[in-house]
Amino acid sequence: MKVFRIVLSCILAFVIFISFPPNAWAFCGFYVAKADAKLYNQASQVVLARDENRTILTMANDYQGNVKDFAIVVPVPVAIQKEQVRIGDAKVIERLDAFSAPRLVEYFDSDPCQLEEAEQDLRFFSTGSALNGAVAQRSSDTALGVTVESKFNVGEYEILILSAKESNGLATWLKQNGYRIPKGANQLLQPYIRQQMKFFVAKVNLAEFNRSGYQNLRPLMIAYESPKFMLPIRLGTINSTSEQDLIVYVLSPKGQAEVTNYRTVKVPSGDEIPPFVKNEFSDFYKAMFQNSYTKEGKKTAFLEYAWDMGSCDPCSAEPLTVEELKKAGVFWLKPDEGSNAFISRIHVRYTRDKFPEDLMFQATANREQFQGRYVLRHPFKGSMTCQAGEQYKKSLAKRFDREGETLAKLTGWKIQDIRQKMDLAQTQTEPFWRNIWQEGN
Amino acid sequence: MLKDARDYQILFLSLFLVLGIGTRDWTLHPEFILVAIATCCLTQWVAASLKYFIEVDNKDARDNGNTEGLIDTKNLADVFNFSLVKPAFRSAIITSLGLSLLLRVDHCSTMVLAGAIAISSKFIFKIKDKHFFNPANIGIIAVLVLTQDAWVSPGQWGEDWWYLLLFAGTGGLIVKKVGRWDTTAAFLGAYALLEAIRNFWLGWTWDVYWHRLMSGSLLLFALFMITDPRSIPNARISRYLWAISIALLTFILRNYFFIPTAVFWALFALAPLTIVFDSIWQAPRFSWQETSPSFTENLTLDLAIAPKSAPQMEREKSQVG
Repeated sequence: MKVFRIVLSCILAFVIFISFPPNAWAFCGFYVAKADAKLYNQASQVVLARDENRTILTMANDYQGNVKDFAIVVPVPVAIQKEQVRIGDAKVIERLDAFSAPRLVEYFDSDPCQLEEAEQDLRFFSTGSALNGAVAQRSSDTALGVTVESKFNVGEYEILILSAKESNGLATWLKQNGYRIPKGANQLLQPYIRQQMKFFVAKVNLAEFNRSGYQNLRPLMIAYESPKFMLPIRLGTINSTSEQDLIVYVLSPKGQAEVTNYRTVKVPSGDEIPPFVKNEFSDFYKAMFQNSYTKEGKKTAFLEYAWDMGSCDPCSAEPLTVEELKKAGVFWLKPDEGSNAFISRIHVRYTRDKFPEDLMFQATANREQFQGRYVLRHPFKGSMTCQAGEQYKKSLAKRFDREGETLAKLTGWKIQDIRQKMDLAQTQTEPFWRNIWQEGN
Repeated sequence: MLKDARDYQILFLSLFLVLGIGTRDWTLHPEFILVAIATCCLTQWVAASLKYFIEVDNKDARDNGNTEGLIDTKNLADVFNFSLVKPAFRSAIITSLGLSLLLRVDHCSTMVLAGAIAISSKFIFKIKDKHFFNPANIGIIAVLVLTQDAWVSPGQWGEDWWYLLLFAGTGGLIVKKVGRWDTTAAFLGAYALLEAIRNFWLGWTWDVYWHRLMSGSLLLFALFMITDPRSIPNARISRYLWAISIALLTFILRNYFFIPTAVFWALFALAPLTIVFDSIWQAPRFSWQETSPSFTENLTLDLAIAPKSAPQMEREKSQVG
């Protein structure tokens, strides 16, 4: 009977949903919190918009140090000309992050004695802050088998495209030109040189940066054509043994993207967890991710979101507009054809020893949608005098137990601690005035 | 224990599927597996029946001088007589399990197409009664090319040692059972050597090399796909050459054309070499059933749909008459 009522209230909600176009809430559940990329201390964000052999790569730049020390060296499959490089919009990456972040949804049990409309609540949370980067300075020289394929300025960046004949020459060249490359980089540069890859070297033009008036460095976008669908991660692990987080947003006209040389696993999703998690969602997600990561042997990539960019349910942020998609590098959109783009949010936590090889990707025809989504169900708290109410109360104890165990399993948190928190949350009774005075927003 | 080596294959492939569903978080859909099995078995049955009719008709025509080629109504009932038609359901099931393990689709219809093409290929692409495309492989390639919703996930097996051991152990057992371990060894050996040379030349550390080889999909291919004794060359020397060519092409496609599904394309492209090699180096055909040497002449017939022996034909004719 109880189930029937819940279902019925969902159907009612659905009727409302289709009659009146919704804003930020959706079918039978309300988005309340998201676990976005700001959660992690060392998270790089990359957008890969790819169709056939064409790629537009956007690298988010959340470098926190002194901009004059900023420089990056990125192996790229082909030589890049000035018109192939653009400054991206950091807001678009934030939008992609917000749109695809794992989310918390909440449901409110209806009065088992009286069928009522579910109440609604809508709140947004986010936590943490982030960074990343490499190092360098400046000067000039030639020879050593290094060729400067092109040299240009884009926005606040000074960009060099280098090709090299051998790694020691390249390393020496970089050092002579004031780039402080980490020890051990020579060996790592060689495989890229031998694969005929070029090196995209960027640093900041301070005068331009000051003139631009921006607080932070803006993302760099590179367009190129190559059958190589990969991201070089090895250079980033040269002198670091710590875990690094990389969030890749793959945009494709086909379907889900996956890593081809490591397993791609979906994050646990759809579980019902105790309502108190609402106030500590970011802790929950971090613990859950770490737990899944460890369980999978620290060597898998995680799929956090896979969705057609035209819609979302529930939405943690509005879908990107066609204009925003274009800013994210989606180049295949034609006028009047809508937004034919499928997003896959792939979260890789990598270390030198578990991820020896660069990441290789493929876009598959898989249009199955997936989201990291966690469900809170608030029990009905009003007075219940009917028999169904008694049964409902009895069923709650079992449900709480189940939710607590699920949470312990997902996060590795101690079940005693969880039970304590749940008891605390349960015994807190609502002040009598809540009935008429809603909490201020 | 089990009479037919194919029973082992069915057992192990099923085990992998169960493991896959149970533990590996794949995009595996049990309903697609059922669809694959049903399609492959049905296609096998229909094709075997057709072949049976054609052969019986031809034989009748030869025996009676009857050139009208009319199908005897009584023969129609034979379609349900599996001992006459002999559809090789075991092979069909192996093909369908192979498809289920390796191929991913969005819609059932694509799996139906893959299964139907896989099995039909055995009856269409054959020379001297020997089919030269691996059925599961051609099924996969066909839907990759013809449809928009098929894909292969080469990374999904991961690289766990445990799986490696499981695969190697059970695969080795099967391969030993069917006496074609040499193909696996030649393929893996050649591929590992090529990758080693490349790794050394590029200057990657050796953990990169091992990571590239520790792919469950590669092993699955080497142990279960290119060892199919019915479609690979008969003579050992030609099998070596054949497997090494596939390894070489796989290496090129993977490293210079960046095709994630390189192994399947390599096998598909080089499968017809079987005919060439068989005409150069001759050796007895492989048979799934263990047979006495005096029976070797029958090995040239496709056992999947072996025609009846002459005395049996005679008996049936007298019953009909």
